Amino acid sequence: MAKRSLAVQLDEVVQAMLVSLRPRPEEAPDLNLAPLMRVAQVLRELPRQEFRATLKSDLQRRATMNEGTAAASRAGAAAPARAAHYQRPGLTSITPYIIVRGGAQFLEFLKTAFKGVEQMRMPTPDGLIMHAEVAVGNGAIEVSDASDAYPAAPTTIHLYVDDANATFDSALQAGATSIYAPTDDHPSGDRWGAAKDQFGNHWYIATPKGWTPGPEGLRSVQPYLHLREAHKMIPFLEAAFGAEAMGVHKSPEGAVLHGTIRIGNATLEIDEAHGEFQPMPCHLHVYVPDTDAVYAQALRAGATSIEVPQDKPYGDRAAGVKDAWGNSWFIATYLGQ
Amino acid sequence: MGNDPDSVRACPNTAREGVTFFVAGSYIVRAMMARRRPARKRSAKGTDEAVPGDARAGADERLLVEAAQSDPAKFDALYEQHFERVYAFVASRVRDRATAEDLTSEVFHKALANLPDYEWRGVPFAAWLMRIAVNCIVDQAKRAAREFPALDDPPEVAADPGLQASELRATENRSRLFRLVGELPEVQKQVVYERFVEQRSIREIARRLGKTPGAIKQLQLRAMQNLRAQMEGGHG
Repeated sequence: MAKRSLAVQLDEVVQAMLVSLRPRPEEAPDLNLAPLMRVAQVLRELPRQEFRATLKSDLQRRATMNEGTAAASRAGAAAPARAAHYQRPGLTSITPYIIVRGGAQFLEFLKTAFKGVEQMRMPTPDGLIMHAEVAVGNGAIEVSDASDAYPAAPTTIHLYVDDANATFDSALQAGATSIYAPTDDHPSGDRWGAAKDQFGNHWYIATPKGWTPGPEGLRSVQPYLHLREAHKMIPFLEAAFGAEAMGVHKSPEGAVLHGTIRIGNATLEIDEAHGEFQPMPCHLHVYVPDTDAVYAQALRAGATSIEVPQDKPYGDRAAGVKDAWGNSWFIATYLGQ
Repeated sequence: MGNDPDSVRACPNTAREGVTFFVAGSYIVRAMMARRRPARKRSAKGTDEAVPGDARAGADERLLVEAAQSDPAKFDALYEQHFERVYAFVASRVRDRATAEDLTSEVFHKALANLPDYEWRGVPFAAWLMRIAVNCIVDQAKRAAREFPALDDPPEVAADPGLQASELRATENRSRLFRLVGELPEVQKQVVYERFVEQRSIREIARRLGKTPGAIKQLQLRAMQNLRAQMEGGHG
């Protein structure tokens, strides 16, 4: 009995650790867990067996060829290592792609309100933002200025922060307006506030309270989709992306009160649209091991095509689909440089 | 730059780090020596033969290096011995697995290319590899800084020798843990790789291994307990 519960508790912390970059082993409830968590944290960096083997045979080839210069070795070195890596460095499996009017101002807002760190900015010839990436906490947000082809699409983001009050205040100072100030009464049990920025995006700003195992241990940036018939989104994501529902709370009538869905190493949240929290179809950038396969699965699962898979000049193989709720999914596989 | 792993020290910005690291080489030597398991007590009186054991290990390693220097095809043995150490060190310094793999790959390719220049002076081969690793990490950080000038992430390599020593001890522990995973019972090993490397959920692993989720959680727990016990036991 005690043994089983230790196995369950360990897995809860491991799960939180794998999804989040902020494990909380020191607050683990069982004293026996702390040393095991130290082991678990190291295992996160465990090298892939395939990489170890591939590099070995690559070195063997170099050694026996006996003619490769160091430069040639270096050029060849990266290829096998990269092959299995499908995520662009700096991005996770799910990144919200927010299209706004006033991209440059929005980037400033992310920096001032949420301590965002600009990682990349590609301007258009007329000074608009063609593409930008901002790291926020352990996640990222991609940004682009609206155009005729891609009109503005405000997005709802759930942000996990260290201090909900401080972040909420800095969001207001940066120009956001309060929907409600951080409160301890939110059903999640977290300290939770909500604000709307001047670009139309909604921000749920939350600090997990105490040690919360399971799906609450999440990445800093979570896209939050309010949907009509939200329960149908779960089988769609499972079929299209091999997603996994990690915790779904339903009303007695079967409406999704809250659901966390994992794709790869990141999660997004959904619930049934209600009250002022109505659907805001948005854009999501999803890195997968095989763009072509996921694109085909998504179409089979009921999505419609925006763009067929193709190699992009920036080094991704990418495709686009739209789901039945109007959200766009940019499917991508990082091919390396 | 290029072939010589020391060449980065010629750059004004990194000269300090390179030199500091070189000074910290003594810490490396100590950390490596401390890591070697004491030799088994052979006499009934229980004589502590740790020191001859170290000398023997050093001599073995020297033979491996010299063999690889005269025949690069024998670099394999050195790779097998040091892969986990280099990877553990690099992985602790960079943010993602792809970069860790790229850099580890670069370190070993450079080591292979520069092996003829390596001179045996009682400095463990591992220390030489670590120096290449530090240089690769600095180079990579500079490349990244050029690519994303806004990124405020300076390469803080070996700024403090004290930290260096503790970091090397941590590296040794991590690399030992990586090796111990390979010695776990097969099914526990599988669970560890599926869970931590592939980052699969308990449910997925259960499906793939044809077991119940509860059984997978138990295996995960046993694997961790085994690893922890081995880590503690190995300190001798």
